[in-house]
Amino acid sequence: MSHEPMHRVIRLKRYEKPPEGYFDNFLRDFHRRQRAELLKPSLATLLLERLHGILGEIRVPAMAYAGATVVAVVASIAILGLPGHSQGEKPRAFAASYQQAPVTIPKMQPVSLRVDTASDPSASAFPPSFILNARPANHESPLSF
Amino acid sequence: MTTELETPPNNDQELVARTQGGDPTAFDELVVKYSPRLYGLIYHMTSNHEDTNDLLQDVFSKAYRSICNFRGNSSFYTWMHSIAVNMTINFLKKRNRRQHPSLNDPDSNIENDPDFIAATSNGDPTKEVSIHELQKKLNAAMQKLSHDHRIVVTMFDIQGMPHADIAKILKVSEGTVRSRLFYAHRQLQNSLHEFKRKEGVTHSPGATP
Repeated sequence: MSHEPMHRVIRLKRYEKPPEGYFDNFLRDFHRRQRAELLKPSLATLLLERLHGILGEIRVPAMAYAGATVVAVVASIAILGLPGHSQGEKPRAFAASYQQAPVTIPKMQPVSLRVDTASDPSASAFPPSFILNARPANHESPLSF
Repeated sequence: MTTELETPPNNDQELVARTQGGDPTAFDELVVKYSPRLYGLIYHMTSNHEDTNDLLQDVFSKAYRSICNFRGNSSFYTWMHSIAVNMTINFLKKRNRRQHPSLNDPDSNIENDPDFIAATSNGDPTKEVSIHELQKKLNAAMQKLSHDHRIVVTMFDIQGMPHADIAKILKVSEGTVRSRLFYAHRQLQNSLHEFKRKEGVTHSPGATP
């Protein structure tokens, strides 16, 4: 099937042309448009401007910044100046306190013994019994008064 | 047949290099050189002069912004046409389907074209069709085509581009271009059967691209 006749008819559309002088003005319009695009702010610029506007609306007293700075400095000093805040000194201090406090051994008291012969008359048949006059210190109950 | 598009892109590389080097006047030369053919490409796709004007401005703006990324893997001519085709098809997808056409008046030279005489009288001078009637019917027939078919008809039939160039611009095979043309012509024949001229009537020399 030949499409040549159709091709020839459709080709007539090439005679449709823009108005006289269109292409002469096109370059000028293109330049104008480029300049307009340069002046048009970008999205990022618009957002920054909006943010700046919002921050500008918040009224902060002039001395508030100075007060906030003083508070921050004092708080920093207080935190950093705490004893034992520095981690490097911790083991040394512990070792020193460990050396300065030796283990104290309670003094041993001499214990006296006596032979109980009076309580039982037939005791002579048996070996004498020994009575401890005091209890050992480590057996004392902490709850005793 | 000599077409605008067969003009070798002699100094395109030089102009592109100058533009990339920061010389805006070099890009102006490219705008002057390519605006008529790109205008035709967009206009025959949209059938609207105002839309074509806006789109053409956008096409050159985009080309100017991206020219630093142009590495010369294809010719500047192919690159520019690809931008124009993609932007036009995207525009047509978004545009209201029932857009009112805004057509340019045909050049007065059309009256002397043997193809016009043959098409409008159909071999019978008593049944003459006016220029505007023909234009209206051609436009309506074009608008019935899908975007893919309309673009190949525009580039091949109206602008006279070779199949190989169309294939490069559309990033399809030459076979696909021929196949699309075949179906588009068949559809156009159905729409424009009244203009199908009788065999043996005047043929303008060298009209086949």
